[in-house]
Amino acid sequence: MKRSELISLAENWFQSKNWKSFPFQQKTWKAFLDGKHGLLNAPTGSGKTYALWVSIVLQYIKENPDYKTKHTKGLKAIWITPLRALSVEIQQAAQRFANDLETGLTVGIRTGDTPQSERAKQKRQMPDLLITTPESLMLLLASKGYEKTFKTLTAVVVDEWHELLGSKRGVQMELALSRLKTVSKELRIWGISATIGNLEEAQDVLLGMDPEFRKNAVLIKSSEKKKIEVRSIIPEKMETFPWRGHLGLHLLEEIVPIIKASKTTLIFTNTRSQSEIWFQKILEKHPEFAGEIAMHHGSIGKDTRLWVEQAIRNESLKAVVATSSLDLGVDFAPVETIIQIGGPKGIAKFLQRAGRSNHRPGEPSVIYFLPTHALELVEASALKRAVKEEVMEDRIPYLLSFDVLIQYLVTLAISNGFFPKEIFPEIKSTFCFQGITEEQWNWCLNFITLGSQSLQAYDEYKKVEVTEEGLFKVESRQIAMMHRLSIGTIVSDSMMLVKYVSGGFIGTIEEWFLSKMKPGDTFVFAGRTLELVRLRQMQAQVRKSSKRTAKVVSFMGGRLPLSSQMSKILREELQSEADHKRNTPELKALSHIFDRQEKESIVPGENEFLIETFKTREGYHTLFYPFEGRFVHEAMSSLLAYRISLLVPITFSLAYNDYGFELLSDQFLDVQNVIDNNLFSSEYLFDDLQKSLNATELARRKFRDIAVISGMVFQGYPNKVIKTKHLQSNSQLLFDVFRDYEPDNLLYLQAYRETFEHQLEEGRLRLALERINSQKIIWKQCKKATPFSFPIITDRLREKLSSEKLADRIKKMTLKLMK
Amino acid sequence: MQITIEISQNHFSLHPSGAIFWEEKAMLLIADVHLGKVSHFRKHGSAIPAHVAYKNLEKLTEIANQFQPKTICFLGDLFHSKLNEEWQDFEKWVEYTKAGVILISGNHDIIPNYLYEDLGIRVYDEWVLDGFHLTHHPSELTGTFNFSGHVHPGIMMKGVGRHFLKFPCFYKTESQLILPAFGNFTGKYILTPTEMDEVFAIVEGEVICVSKK
Repeated sequence: MKRSELISLAENWFQSKNWKSFPFQQKTWKAFLDGKHGLLNAPTGSGKTYALWVSIVLQYIKENPDYKTKHTKGLKAIWITPLRALSVEIQQAAQRFANDLETGLTVGIRTGDTPQSERAKQKRQMPDLLITTPESLMLLLASKGYEKTFKTLTAVVVDEWHELLGSKRGVQMELALSRLKTVSKELRIWGISATIGNLEEAQDVLLGMDPEFRKNAVLIKSSEKKKIEVRSIIPEKMETFPWRGHLGLHLLEEIVPIIKASKTTLIFTNTRSQSEIWFQKILEKHPEFAGEIAMHHGSIGKDTRLWVEQAIRNESLKAVVATSSLDLGVDFAPVETIIQIGGPKGIAKFLQRAGRSNHRPGEPSVIYFLPTHALELVEASALKRAVKEEVMEDRIPYLLSFDVLIQYLVTLAISNGFFPKEIFPEIKSTFCFQGITEEQWNWCLNFITLGSQSLQAYDEYKKVEVTEEGLFKVESRQIAMMHRLSIGTIVSDSMMLVKYVSGGFIGTIEEWFLSKMKPGDTFVFAGRTLELVRLRQMQAQVRKSSKRTAKVVSFMGGRLPLSSQMSKILREELQSEADHKRNTPELKALSHIFDRQEKESIVPGENEFLIETFKTREGYHTLFYPFEGRFVHEAMSSLLAYRISLLVPITFSLAYNDYGFELLSDQFLDVQNVIDNNLFSSEYLFDDLQKSLNATELARRKFRDIAVISGMVFQGYPNKVIKTKHLQSNSQLLFDVFRDYEPDNLLYLQAYRETFEHQLEEGRLRLALERINSQKIIWKQCKKATPFSFPIITDRLREKLSSEKLADRIKKMTLKLMK
Repeated sequence: MQITIEISQNHFSLHPSGAIFWEEKAMLLIADVHLGKVSHFRKHGSAIPAHVAYKNLEKLTEIANQFQPKTICFLGDLFHSKLNEEWQDFEKWVEYTKAGVILISGNHDIIPNYLYEDLGIRVYDEWVLDGFHLTHHPSELTGTFNFSGHVHPGIMMKGVGRHFLKFPCFYKTESQLILPAFGNFTGKYILTPTEMDEVFAIVEGEVICVSKK
C-alpha cells in the first residue's frame, strides 16, 4: 500500500468516529511511515496517543498487506509511560483502533502491578504493543535472551518524556534505548513531550549522539493552544492579611462559592500535609460537603486513589484536594475548575495543572490562584504574564550518572552477559555519557568486577565475573535476584504501611514521622483522625479516633524553589512597582504594602539591588533581595556569610525564602565593607562554596540515592525485613567510609557534583552574582522591619554559619533530653 | 584529648577511639569491633573499600602501643560474621600483641570458641571482676557496675535554629557505662539521655562531656 492509501485508512476511521485529525497527527503519521525518529510536542488530551499508535499500526499494515487474515507474531512496539496509572487508558485507546481496523493486533501491559502469571504468559508470547514503565523495560533487559524478544521491534514511544528527562529515570531510558538500537534493526524512536523550554535538547537526549539518528529526526509541534485564564483570589480586606504562614486557610470561605458553582473542582496544594489540612478544614467548616469531597496524594493507598479517580470520572465528587499526584496523565472530563493554593513556583507546573480542567471548544481553562501570603499575589501577577508570553522552564538532563550506569551494566551481566568492547560505544553514544573517558569506563568495570580499582590479596568480592572469553557475567543466583529487586532509580524514604487493627490498608507514611509517636497518640492521615495502636515490623496498626489532634502527618521532601524563568518575571513585576505602574489587579491590591515598603525603604527598580539593615531585639538584621528562589538564596547566603567571616570574626544565623535572604548577627555589619571588598564576586565561587556551605551535609543526602541505585546498599527483600539485616548498612556510614578512605571514588564525587549542579544550581548562582555586580547596590538603613523583610525574618528554619571549631561549637550546643 | 573518670575508686580513661583504659588493672576495654564486616559485605556484592578492613587492626595496634595494657578485653561482636579472610589478619595481630586477650561473646560472635582458644584467647559469656561486671549486652547485677557494648550509642546535639549534629558517645548511667563501637564500619544508635545520665561525645578526635551532670 502507498503512503497516501495508508493515511486514508486512518482518516476514514477518524471520520467514522465523527472526529477530525489534527495537522500534527498527519505530520506524525507521514514522518513515521518515512522511517523517521522524532519528538512530538503536544499537550495531554490532544490526541497524541493516536498520533503515534496509528503510525505503528499503519506501518504494520504496510509490511503485512494481508493483515486482516494473517497475524504476524512478535513485539512491534513499546510504549513507555512514567505512571502506571496511565497505562489502562492508553491500552483502551490503542486496542480500539487496532480492532476497528481488523488488524488482530494485541495490546498488553507490563508494570510492577502485572501478576506473575500474566508476565510468564507475555514471556512466551509478547503482545504486539507493550505498554510499560522504564523500570519494567530494564527488567526485560535483565532476562536471558532479551534480544530475541526485541528483534521484531519497530518503535519505542516514550510518553511524557519531559517528566523523565530531568531525572535519573531519563538516564535509565537513554541506556535502554542505546541497547535497543543495536538489537532492533528497524527501530524508530519517538518521544512525546509537553512544552518545555529546551525541546530541542530534549530531542537530542532521547535520540542520543548517534549522527544517523539525529539526521533522520523531526520535531513536530502541535499548534493546538489551550487558552488559560488565571483568576487571583484577592482578599477583600488586605490589612487582615497575614505576612507569613503557608496554608492560606483564612481564605477558605472564598473558595466555597467556586466549588459550589462548578461540577467538579480540583484543589491543588504544594505538599501532602497541606492537602491533609485543607481537606480537614473544608469539612470542618462545611460539613454539607461530607461525602462529596475527597483527597488524593501519593501516600494514600492505591485502591483509594483509584476510587477517587473513578469517582471524578463518574461526576460523583464535588471537589478533590490533591497534590502533584494528579498533575499528570488521565483526563478527567467532568473537571471544570482548578484552584491552586500557594505559589506553584514554576510556570510549566502551573499550566499543567490549569490544563487539567475540561475546556469546551473555544472556552479557556480557568484556574483560580489562592495566595498563602501577600507577596504571593505578585507571583500571581507574574504567572499571568508568563502565560501570556509563553515563557517555559527547561528540564535539565543528568550527565555522567555513574550510579545508573553501574546498575545498567549489572543488569546486562545478569541476562546475557556483555563484552565491554561492544557496549562501550553504545554508552558513549548516549547524551548522558557522551563525555565519559576510557578511564572512567574502566573504573566502572573494575567496580563491578573487583569492587575496587586494584586486585586485593585474598579478596572475596563477588558480583560480576569475567569469563575466559572476556564476557562480563553474573554467575551467582543470589546476586542476580538481589539485583532484580533493586532495579530502578526512585529511592524512597523508609516507608511504613498504615493499617487498621481490624484489617484494611490506608496508605504509607515515612518511618521517621511514625518513629516519633507512641501508642495512643493520634494523628491526621488520609483525611481521618487515627490513633496509633502499635508498631509491628514495618506496619503501623491504627484505629479510628474521635479525639481532636493538631498533629497532621508530614512528609520529607521539600518545598520547590522558584524556577529561574519564574524569578525573572517576578523580578520584573516587582520592579514595575518602582515606577508605580500598578497595572494588574493583584498589584493594585498590594498598593498599601508597596507604599509602606517605600516609606521604610525602597522598591528596587531595574538595575537596583536592595540591601536593608535594621536592628530589633533579636539583633542586627541584614537583608538582601536577589529574587532568585530559595536554593540560590541558600547558597548565596552562606557564601556571603563565609566571605564576611573572613573579614571579621562573626557568627551568623541565616534565613531565606524565594525572594531574598537574611544574615542575622549580634554585632553590627558594615554593608559598605561588603561592597568595598567585592564580596559578590563570582570568582573562586566553587572553592568558597565548598568551604562555606555545609556542602558535605548536602552531598551526604544525595549520596543516599546513589548508594542504592549503584547497588551498594541493598534495601531488602519485599515483606522480609529481618532476614537481610546482616547485609544492611546505611548510606551515611558508606559516605563516611568513602570520605575517610577512598575520596576519589567516582560515586562519592558524583554526590558532590549533583549537589552543585542540581541542588545549589551553581550555574544559576553564578549568573545571579554577575547580575548583582552589574547592578547599583542600594543600602537602606531602616528604622524597623520592612514589608519585604517580614516573611524572611520571621522564618524559624534557620541555619548557622560560624568559623569556630566544631568542638567549641559543640560546647555551646545542648543535648536533646528526654522530656 | 581523653577524659578520665572515677568509678568506685577505680580510674577509667575514655579514649577518642572508643576504647576505655582501666588504669588499676592496666586493661583495655573495647566493644563492637565488627571485624570481617567489610569482607562480608564485599562477598555479597557491595563494594566497600577493602582497606577499610585493615584500618581496624591498625587502630587496635596503635592503641595497644599507646597504653601498653596487660589485658585487652573485647566486649563482644569482635567478628561480624563467619570466618573470612580477615581472620588471618586477626591471627597475626594476636600473635604480635603482647597483652592477654579476652572476649566476652556477643550476638554476632558465631565463630566457634575453640578457634579463639587455639590463639590463646579466653572466651567468657560475662565476667565479674572487683565489683565490675563486663558484658556484651547492657546488664544489671546487684552490687556491680556494668561495662557493655552492643548498642553503638550515639547522641544528637541541638544548636540554635534547626541545627542538629550526631556523634558516637560513651553513655553512662548510675550503674552502667556503654561503650561506643570501636570498628570503623559500624553505625550508631541515637539515645535520648535523661537528666541523670552522663554523656561523653567523641568529636573530631576529642572526648567531650556534653551532659549537664
